[in-house]
Amino acid sequence: MFGAKIKIDKDLLKRAKKFAEAAGYSSTEEFITHLIERELSRLEQGGDSDEEVKKRLRGLGYI
Amino acid sequence: MFVQKLARIHRGIAFFATSAVSRIRPNRRVFAARFAIRAAVCLLAAIVRCPPAFAYIGPGAGFVFVGSFLILLVTSVLVVFSLLTWPARCAARAVRRRKIKRRHRDVGRIVILGLDGLKPELAERFMDEGRLPNMARLRERGTFTRLNTTYPAISPVAWSSFQTGTNPGKHNIFDFLSRDPATYLPLLSSVKMGKVERSLSLGSRSIPLGKPTITPLRKSKPFWHVLGEHGVSSCVLRVPVTFPPEKHRGVMLCGMCVPDLIGTQGTFTVYTTRDDIRCEHGSGIVVRLEQNGNIMRSHITGPENFLRKDREPIHIPLQIVRGTGADPAEVTVGGQRVKLTKGKHSDWVRLRFSPGLGMKVTGVCRFLLVEADPHLTVYMTPMNIDPDRPALPVSHPMVYSSYLSKLLGTFSTLGLAEDTWALSEGVIDETAFLEQCYTFHGERERIFFNALDRTGEDVCISVFDITDRVQHMFWRYLDESHPANRGKDTERYAGAITELYNNMDGLVGRTLERLNERDILIVMSDHGFQPFSRGVNVNSWLHQNGYLALNDGATESGEWFADVDWTRTKAYAMGLGGLYINERGREAQGTVAAGDEKRLLKEELIERLSGLRDTQQGQIGITQLWDTTAVYAGPYLGNAPDLIVGYAAGYRASWDSVTGKIGPQVFEDNVMSWCGDHCIDPRLVPGVFFSSRAINAHRQPHIMDIAPTVLAAFGIDRPGHMDGTALDFE
Repeated sequence: MFGAKIKIDKDLLKRAKKFAEAAGYSSTEEFITHLIERELSRLEQGGDSDEEVKKRLRGLGYI
Repeated sequence: MFVQKLARIHRGIAFFATSAVSRIRPNRRVFAARFAIRAAVCLLAAIVRCPPAFAYIGPGAGFVFVGSFLILLVTSVLVVFSLLTWPARCAARAVRRRKIKRRHRDVGRIVILGLDGLKPELAERFMDEGRLPNMARLRERGTFTRLNTTYPAISPVAWSSFQTGTNPGKHNIFDFLSRDPATYLPLLSSVKMGKVERSLSLGSRSIPLGKPTITPLRKSKPFWHVLGEHGVSSCVLRVPVTFPPEKHRGVMLCGMCVPDLIGTQGTFTVYTTRDDIRCEHGSGIVVRLEQNGNIMRSHITGPENFLRKDREPIHIPLQIVRGTGADPAEVTVGGQRVKLTKGKHSDWVRLRFSPGLGMKVTGVCRFLLVEADPHLTVYMTPMNIDPDRPALPVSHPMVYSSYLSKLLGTFSTLGLAEDTWALSEGVIDETAFLEQCYTFHGERERIFFNALDRTGEDVCISVFDITDRVQHMFWRYLDESHPANRGKDTERYAGAITELYNNMDGLVGRTLERLNERDILIVMSDHGFQPFSRGVNVNSWLHQNGYLALNDGATESGEWFADVDWTRTKAYAMGLGGLYINERGREAQGTVAAGDEKRLLKEELIERLSGLRDTQQGQIGITQLWDTTAVYAGPYLGNAPDLIVGYAAGYRASWDSVTGKIGPQVFEDNVMSWCGDHCIDPRLVPGVFFSSRAINAHRQPHIMDIAPTVLAAFGIDRPGHMDGTALDFE
């Protein structure tokens, strides 16, 4: 709601709106966020240590 | 930051002011006004009559005074602003709602009671036996039917479909676990906890400049957001996969997947003089006490110190004194003395951890004296985030949990608060576990009824977990031949599940008493239940059949595929129902090409694993596998497992398989206290759907239908992205 705003071309936004609905996104914002997240996950490296990852699952009754 | 804080305070005040004033009846208004005037007069008198005092007041006190004054001033301005704009906001809301109310004048409140895991077959049997009069009333006057659930039939997946009205391909939750294709390690599927990006280094200290990011991984849009856009408020209590809380019109208390204070899904601690207590599955911490007289000193290990570079955990001292008679032990922590009675949980105890610079991180826990003599054993629940001073947001607005805590007392905030692992590890017994479940349930009922009483012609949703947890841990009592009965009591709690259903019927009855004819009550579950007698290690099967390779010389693998040779592996199972192809270009060491090679491998695995026989028992352990491209559709399909494994009734992914261990056995008995489950073929574990009004349905409803049904009841058209179809109330 209070997130940052970026400017994109009107026609591009129109196309994005059309595609977002057809692809099953709940909004154009969700579509564009997904695109950015997907690209960033390819570019960004590193993260939590293996131990940190395992620790977060500790206590989950199902496993 | 400051502006955000102001906005948050403003929203909190606006919510409480409007809800409080609007719900007070006229005679109560007079009483409230008199009470406020008397309180103000008393306060003024106390200030005026206060005798002079002499003390040194340093600059620190001045800062505190100015800081407090500023907060008071800003709060006062916001209160006045909120009250002045209240009529305008009400008018704007009424205009927005007029359009939808014109279309549906016969709908008042919609109340949804989610009873996680309530099994339709048992509910039906108990209704026929006359044990569930309130549910039977709903069946007679309204609707009772089975509710189709998601693939797989797992709570985070199913409740995400409930919220969004979409299939998992659109909401991105496919299991409790997802996996990191770069490391093959498991990840919690619902939320990503980030770190603080920047910090200021000062010697051994590291001052964070900002807050860690908490990113929700559930996508799409919950139906209460759509309701809010049309002026309808929603009170959403403990619906799974709602952490971190998202802003919407109304209030929310987060449910399943909220972590404990140390960032896990619930780590208990046991203090003991024994040396034979082990937590073999690593879900608890065992602290040995020195048997030296009656006073034993130890400490509680809290969260990491975020002000230190080495991130050492913060400790607070703990003292346990062995007593006699009615109070056989006393725990002292943070200046609080808690008397413990054997077998009974203490009240909530507040734990304050000090990282430094005057900061405090608070959690809450309960203690239980397991035994006092000759050995002393004290169990401490996982440290819940304190709802009064939450270290992480567990509600929307953030002050809502604090408000509930002050009004109704401290309550559990942990997503999976009922400590199933403490029972599975034998640290607590069935009696203590049941007491814990019902204590937490009592807190949640009080919160629910408080919210329900404040709900206008809006929506109130509350999910109760007790039905799921008790069935997971007590199902063996319904099945004499269950392997988990070996060496355990089989009689004392034979009626635990029957009693559970009776108690839930009581909850339904108390809810019905508060509703009028225009209100609609929906009682539903996300899945049913079946016994979990045999575990299936799909990874071991994949290894034995040449799809998964171990490092040279290894015959077994440790946790999380420690000894797997990925360069020779084609497929692996992860989570409770997912099977992934080791795809080239997607997984870090993928071996199978996307396209035809992958498609053929999937077809081969479906053919070979569907109908897999447990030769020892002479039964089928896996009914069917589904290609996720056939059962899901949506933009997040690429994050889904490639295949979903449907286990037969009585079977489930084995404990070793779920944690990526590979051994010689494909099938094995499940002897854990966790003896019932639902992570199987979804067709075998449908949920229930009751409603106080009959529905015109020519098919069995699906959990995805609930969201559009609620929208339709308020006259709101189904958004295009939703997959569910609205049920038509008569």
